[in-house]
Amino acid sequence: MESILSGVFALMDRLLPFAFAEPAFMKRALLALLLTAPAAAALGVPLVQHRMAFFSDAIGHSAFTGVALGVLLGVSPSWTMVAFGVLVAVAITLVKGRTELSSDTVIGVFFSTVVALGIAIISREKGLTRNLQAFLYGDPLAVTDADLLWMAALFLLVSAYLAFLYNRILLLGIHEGFARTKGVRPPVVEISFALVVALVVTAAIHTVGILLVTALLVIPAAAARNVARRAASALWISVGVAVLSGFAGIAASWYLDTATGATVVLAAAACFAVTAMYRVVRPRE
Amino acid sequence: MSVSDHIHTLEIRNLTVRKGGVEILSGIDADLRCGEVTALVGPNGAGKTTLLLAILGQVPYTGEIRFCRAEEHGQGAPRIGYVPQHLPLDPDAPITVLDFFALSSQRRPVFLGASRRTREAARESLERAGVAHLLQRPLGRLSGGELQRVLFALALRDAPDILLLDEPVSGVDVAGEELFCDFLSKIQRDSRFSLLLVSHDLSVVTRHADQVICLNRRLVCSGATTEVLTPENLAAMYGTDAHLFRHTHADGHGHLHDDGGK
Repeated sequence: MESILSGVFALMDRLLPFAFAEPAFMKRALLALLLTAPAAAALGVPLVQHRMAFFSDAIGHSAFTGVALGVLLGVSPSWTMVAFGVLVAVAITLVKGRTELSSDTVIGVFFSTVVALGIAIISREKGLTRNLQAFLYGDPLAVTDADLLWMAALFLLVSAYLAFLYNRILLLGIHEGFARTKGVRPPVVEISFALVVALVVTAAIHTVGILLVTALLVIPAAAARNVARRAASALWISVGVAVLSGFAGIAASWYLDTATGATVVLAAAACFAVTAMYRVVRPRE
Repeated sequence: MSVSDHIHTLEIRNLTVRKGGVEILSGIDADLRCGEVTALVGPNGAGKTTLLLAILGQVPYTGEIRFCRAEEHGQGAPRIGYVPQHLPLDPDAPITVLDFFALSSQRRPVFLGASRRTREAARESLERAGVAHLLQRPLGRLSGGELQRVLFALALRDAPDILLLDEPVSGVDVAGEELFCDFLSKIQRDSRFSLLLVSHDLSVVTRHADQVICLNRRLVCSGATTEVLTPENLAAMYGTDAHLFRHTHADGHGHLHDDGGK
């Protein structure tokens, strides 16, 4: 694994002869962003289509409680965060399908319960606050090799998942009854999608933090919607915005000495602003 | 109607659907005949949509729904086509008509583009519906009539044995109504489909349907359109669903009747 990484780093030295990409921690940060941000952006397209931005926000905030639980139980918070995020995602999806309540009401109930639980744990364990800082704001400069390996595995998982199920996810978003007649099984699609979103959200928290993680899913997809007319271009523009803002954000944070995660999100927001302006001025069909 | 006169494509026997302890449909018996148009009418909340969902296998039910397939139409399970009433899409959704065809037919993920087969099949069936120019248009920006043509085109492409249409002429202009007539005559010509259409519009029903099934949680009556919905009854009752099914009959009428439902 060491040798793979050093090979990748050597390649990055050749491709990116910039001062900001020189230190190893910057290379790790860049890799972390280039693995998680495009995966989040690709999932963001159907997520926005299904109006599930609030859902990803709830998963992001459940990570807060997941971390607190990890510290409380003496387990690595990185893993309890993933496990708890997945648990909350599946629970929301199952409950949503079995009540007459609107989905944002169900998510709202889970969201506040989970955050309250997190706060309760933290208030008992005084030493926890320091641990939480890194997760709240994210710190891509502290990404470890093990984190990178997990992110790479997740990148492949998301690619395979979308290659296999993307059509069914989108079709389900257009009309459930019609999708069923085309062989789509809504519970399978909904639960697997929630699961994959939870995995990506908890991984992306390492880079931009709990407070901003939803931005990585929603902003690139929203920018893509401003300009894309076809399903294919929507996905690729979203991924392109993620890659671009990953590069631009990390470079800018190096020269401006600002928090990396926040700078990346600002770069994505700038992309959104540009596409929104294009949308206003472009001729109507 | 010739050979297929007596063939039923769909037989519904004693169909009952319960939801939350309430019987939404009870003891429904009905048949769909091969190559014929059957209309499903009834007031709001009569269970029309539930019956469609039961046929599609999307709600649990007791009783029997049997699909029969004439030998000349090939082997295997019958294909059921479904044309929803409308698609609740926002106008900005980045999904074109071609994407919609790709999503519902090809294995290749749509972000890698539409396959040649999808593209050709989509163009061909849109042409048959007279809307080839809509291929690259965003799905969310189509007018009611355009969307209906696209949905028909998609249904025709799959050559279903039974086609379920939910309110095919609601919110559609004169051109849409014309298309609907063309569509029906095509079906009659091919005599391959059986059509079940849900409709509020009784003028459509009387003009186009061969058979009518009147529902109000139970089967109120069913039979040939001319016998069930007589012009006198329609003239007197048009638009007032509550009175629609209260018809007088002496004897010798050619339709089922269930007095228990009134």
